[in-house]
Amino acid sequence: MRLPRLFRTTSFRLTLLYAGLFSLSVLFLFAAVYWSTVGLMSRQIDETVRNELIELQTAAPGGGLLELQQVVQEYAARSPSFFYLLQDADGHVLAGNLPALAPEPGLRKLSWRSEPPPVNLGNAAKGIRGYGMKVADGAYLFVGLSSNELRRMQTALDRSFLWSLAVTLVLALLGGAAMSLGPLRRVEAISRASRDIMGGDLGRRIALRGGGDEFDHLASSLNAMLNRIQVLMNGLQQVSSDVAHDLRTPLTLLRQRLELARRRGANVETLYAAFDHSIRDVDAILDTFGAILRITQIESGSRKAQFARVGLSELLEGLVDTYQPVAEEKRQRLSSAIAPDLSIEGDRELLTQLFANLIENAINHAPPGISIGVGLSQTARGLEAVVSDSGPGIPSAYHQKVFQRFYRLETSRTSPGNGLGLSLAAAVAELHEASISLSDNHPGLRIVVVFPAERVSQDTDAARGTSGAKSAVDYAAVRP
Amino acid sequence: MKILLIEDNRETADYIFQGLQEKGHVASVSQDGREGLFRAASENWDMLIVDRLLPGMDGLSLVHTLRGGGVHTPVLFLTALGGIDDRVAGLNAGGDDYLVKPFAFAELIARVDALGRRPLQTAVETVLRVADLEMDLLARSVRRGGRTIELQPREFRLLEYLMRHAGQLVTRTMLLENVWDFHFDPRTNIVESHISRLRSKLNKNGIELIHTIRGSGYSIRAPA
Repeated sequence: MRLPRLFRTTSFRLTLLYAGLFSLSVLFLFAAVYWSTVGLMSRQIDETVRNELIELQTAAPGGGLLELQQVVQEYAARSPSFFYLLQDADGHVLAGNLPALAPEPGLRKLSWRSEPPPVNLGNAAKGIRGYGMKVADGAYLFVGLSSNELRRMQTALDRSFLWSLAVTLVLALLGGAAMSLGPLRRVEAISRASRDIMGGDLGRRIALRGGGDEFDHLASSLNAMLNRIQVLMNGLQQVSSDVAHDLRTPLTLLRQRLELARRRGANVETLYAAFDHSIRDVDAILDTFGAILRITQIESGSRKAQFARVGLSELLEGLVDTYQPVAEEKRQRLSSAIAPDLSIEGDRELLTQLFANLIENAINHAPPGISIGVGLSQTARGLEAVVSDSGPGIPSAYHQKVFQRFYRLETSRTSPGNGLGLSLAAAVAELHEASISLSDNHPGLRIVVVFPAERVSQDTDAARGTSGAKSAVDYAAVRP
Repeated sequence: MKILLIEDNRETADYIFQGLQEKGHVASVSQDGREGLFRAASENWDMLIVDRLLPGMDGLSLVHTLRGGGVHTPVLFLTALGGIDDRVAGLNAGGDDYLVKPFAFAELIARVDALGRRPLQTAVETVLRVADLEMDLLARSVRRGGRTIELQPREFRLLEYLMRHAGQLVTRTMLLENVWDFHFDPRTNIVESHISRLRSKLNKNGIELIHTIRGSGYSIRAPA
């Protein structure tokens, strides 16, 4: 058998604990009250009775039984609130207004609860509290007072204690239930939303109450996590379908070519040509695979651990040198405006590939006769690297799309590449917390990569010898 | 050369083994990391070709252990496609070169030849010569037939790499990695462009020394 859900919640368990503690404190409180009322009262009775005993004995100076008997009779007649008893060694009542008792010395509580009292003790005397003692000749003397008042007070206290304990418990439990029901409902809402999401309703989010309490915090964290997961999942789905689509075409072509060569049989040269062509096809497919894996690895961020200072100025100058002859062969003009001695924290190999991709993009997609520019400067935003060309450019509607994997503009379907160059560039930029954006170069395309100021290597600042000023003039002034 | 190939994939191992034998090398295959380590350390080899992923013991720790034990046989790592961290890790562990699978066979042979030559070049050379072409590494100058040829730094590095491997096949990838430090496949013909520029500078007063090996790479050598 399982407990109802309410009783299994943490807040309810806490409530029980508190209820227990409250009851305990009520108990202590009552113990104190008891001690200071009932306790005090009994002590007063005891005191009075003891004094009366002493007085009796003092009043019978001879100490003889007869004298005592006389005194007791006198007192019994005089003070009706006291109860007296004097009995001899054989248990015969000698004086007083009580029946014979077993001769026990010390404090005694007498009561006749079960049967009506054997003597008329007055309407009040259902209980007597008093002291007994041995006196001369084995006789026994007892003096007591009615303990009715005491008893009544005791009963009243007991009753109020039980009541307040009951009320405390009920209130604690009800309060606890109310307290745990609210959060429980919120938790229930969260887990219901989670179940829905697991059930396939991926767009579902946990509702916020708007009060900004802990549950809203938790819910918004969970929602943020869900959004991130969804972005990743969409990316993954996109990649899978892209891979499937982009690899199916070349694989189909490859299969057709091989089948054709096999069917025609022809001569050795034709077969060799078919082989060579097929190997080139396979290489292209493997190349695409490699690029996808590389992008995935870059996106995983593991390369960050190896970040070191990279001289961006020198890296870009090297790339311009490298691509100069390539551009010249295409009768394109490659020029540079690179501010010297700028560096960032990063991965040299990946940064090389990032800018190589951008420059190659310009070389491959722009016609002969155009000019390509590579620039680097320090601006208020950070280090700004620019690769621009005066070619046909890309309509602004596609400026974001070209970063998607395998995205290729219809106009560039025939140029070399696998449609992953800019995706890889974007992944590398992301790894370096840099932004990459396309804009119109009027005419042509302008790609700007901005490495935010915080990413800029400490050494750069140190080398420049300046702390705050980040204008383009500064490094020019400091350069050797 | 006597080469130990430590590779667990039988087909890849056969492919490399046969190719090495065709090129006149004596090859032996080990398919397990521990066995490979034992054989690499206990026999004399001119070169080790080690796959990164091996049963028993992975390639990295194998080479690391070997180097720790004072074995300095040249090591060529074979790494999986797309592993961008593999190269650095491989070289750090004590590998001398790396090759990404799948590779063209000519590429592997070129790497093997380049690595195999290494020990001969431990002696400090200050002047490299191929026919009437002379490179002074200290003065950073190049002369052909007594005439000085002005080269840009990148062209100098390109020619130096070719001349250090004179008579051998140097592939496009080897040039990209060693001259440009490019560890990816560029989409433009960088190497071809630079070679053609270098050729035009070198050939002003002499015959062609840089030969194109079709589909594989280049080789600088004196005319036969």
